[in-house]
Amino acid sequence: MTAQIELKNIDKHYGAFHALKKVSLSIEKGSFVALVGPSGCGKSTLLRSIAGLETITSGDLHIAGKEMTGVPPRHRDIAMVFQSYALYPHMTVEENLTYSLRLHGVGKAEAKAKAAEVAATTGLSALLSRYPRQLSGGQRQRVAMGRAIIRNPKAFLFDEPLSNLDAALRVQMRKEIRALHDRLGATSVYVTHDQIEAMTMADWVVVMRDGVIEQQGRPLDLYDQPVNRFVAGFIGSPAMNFVDGVISEDGRGVVVGAGDRIPLARQAEPNRKVVAGVRPENLRVAEGAASFHFEVGNVESTGSATYLTSKDGALQLVQTERLGFSVGDRVGLDIDPALVHLFDPQTGARI
Amino acid sequence: MGVIMETGPAVGGLMRRFLASLRDGVGFDILLVGAAMVFLIAMAGLPLIYNVLMSFQQVDMFTLGSLIRPWAGFQNYIDVVREPAFWLVAKNTFIFVFFSMGGQFVIGFALALFFAQNFPGASTIRGLFLVSWVMPGLVVGAIWSWILAGDFGVLNTILKGLGIIQSNVFWKSDPAFSIWAVVIANIWLGLAFNMLLLSVGLAAIPRDLYEAAELDGANALQRFWTITLPMMRSTIGAVLSLGLIGTLQQFDLFPAITEGGPANTSTVAQYWSWQMSFQLYDFAKGATISVMMLVLVLIASIIYVRSTRHEVRG
Repeated sequence: MTAQIELKNIDKHYGAFHALKKVSLSIEKGSFVALVGPSGCGKSTLLRSIAGLETITSGDLHIAGKEMTGVPPRHRDIAMVFQSYALYPHMTVEENLTYSLRLHGVGKAEAKAKAAEVAATTGLSALLSRYPRQLSGGQRQRVAMGRAIIRNPKAFLFDEPLSNLDAALRVQMRKEIRALHDRLGATSVYVTHDQIEAMTMADWVVVMRDGVIEQQGRPLDLYDQPVNRFVAGFIGSPAMNFVDGVISEDGRGVVVGAGDRIPLARQAEPNRKVVAGVRPENLRVAEGAASFHFEVGNVESTGSATYLTSKDGALQLVQTERLGFSVGDRVGLDIDPALVHLFDPQTGARI
Repeated sequence: MGVIMETGPAVGGLMRRFLASLRDGVGFDILLVGAAMVFLIAMAGLPLIYNVLMSFQQVDMFTLGSLIRPWAGFQNYIDVVREPAFWLVAKNTFIFVFFSMGGQFVIGFALALFFAQNFPGASTIRGLFLVSWVMPGLVVGAIWSWILAGDFGVLNTILKGLGIIQSNVFWKSDPAFSIWAVVIANIWLGLAFNMLLLSVGLAAIPRDLYEAAELDGANALQRFWTITLPMMRSTIGAVLSLGLIGTLQQFDLFPAITEGGPANTSTVAQYWSWQMSFQLYDFAKGATISVMMLVLVLIASIIYVRSTRHEVRG
């Protein structure tokens, strides 16, 4: 495997604002990488820097082994799908698809044939003579994708491409984009604020915050081994519960209240203040003696799952069975000690 | 007595209902539309019809005061075309309209593109350009009259300093240059308006279209031809149509700079029409010339309305 896109110590300043701080990232050829993080974390800036739409303040950027720092976007051989799709409103679908080919002097007949081919793979064959304003959101999305793939570029960049679609279509397009990626053997970089999209689509997830890469890795590794409290809280839905506590005298549990203690699978430093992280789906309602308790503040049932939220809002629990609890009930809880994460209360780093 | 007793309350009820509808019903809308209609008909519609009517009548000192005058048919139009100055004025009008609009549009577009580049102070400086548009035509004319003056004008001084001309050019009194003197002043006067409208059109083009085009491989010139121009289609149509109307309306500069001279070499249709009516008191010919211009403006207006109907955005 070779790196198709290689970023080394990328810095980006907007005036006084430090948008990207020494970002280094290597994107393998053929991989699907998701950049994920809250708004303003720098993920879009990073993507636009790869495209050349933003100039980086310092650092090295290589695409397919070539230095790209000073190269204008049109010479980078990269395709991008915009959040707004950025279809050319005054061109038909076919003209939108063939725009780049026509710019590069490809003959009319050849461009037409290629457009037909791409339209067939993206399901646009019947729409070639329409204008973008005559298309639905999902169809526009497909045109944007078609416009990207017709060029056979070195990499595909996606900037939150699904955020303007309704929920059902989003799930469908998620699969289509991933299937397309696999079929083309393309290299894709996908920016999203939706961690579900990142987890389900990508081979490699990069979590960013405040211009810094907090963690990168395979989706399930991020879920199982978050390096800090931010990543732990960001990945997974519903979000991980965080409970303040102190490690017990014997170092085998976290004392979180009167008589309540979350068990640990390993020995920890006694009397140390920690934040225990437990995922809502890992909590179980205790059948026998419970290790800790909470008071039910809210019960939500979706049919397939039951969500219980504690009275103080600090804890949430998801169970796939139907639970007959009501507000005010005191519930005993249990957890597999191996699934408890510990974080430092000051730095948020994993312990 | 009994009759009045019966109708009184009915009339009162009608009145009340009418007043109520004025306050919060459809009556208020009719009142507003009505006021505008009355104003339009009285101040624009009737004079326009009267003007068209006059162009088909024989008008002289004896019939000036009456509405119904001897019918002339197209005789006034024939007479106007047969005037010795007609073709000269037509040529001048064409030069004035074509080059004023062309200059205003090209330079205005260039400035609009320049100020769209988002450098510090761009919008402030662009705002300052509006000063030229706010200034009265007579004042602009007076200033340009000085700039273009043959013996003491600053333009001649600059051109001589740059070595472009050897001796003074008499812009206003040389028959070869007189119409161009007014064209230059008019370009300056209308520049800001063109730039402003085109700036608005430019600002309405989404930035990401340019980014998409850039990634698709378009260089700056290709982006201009394939994105900017087609996206500006309706704006350009509007600017050119309004430019035509504005140029055909331009009057103030002529009395201030050349007074149509020398020997009608800078007379244009609108100035000629005014001369006919208010200097020679040949109201029929004056009206006829203005009706000819009206037809031109009407054509431009139709093009303008159609171009705004063809919005491509979205």
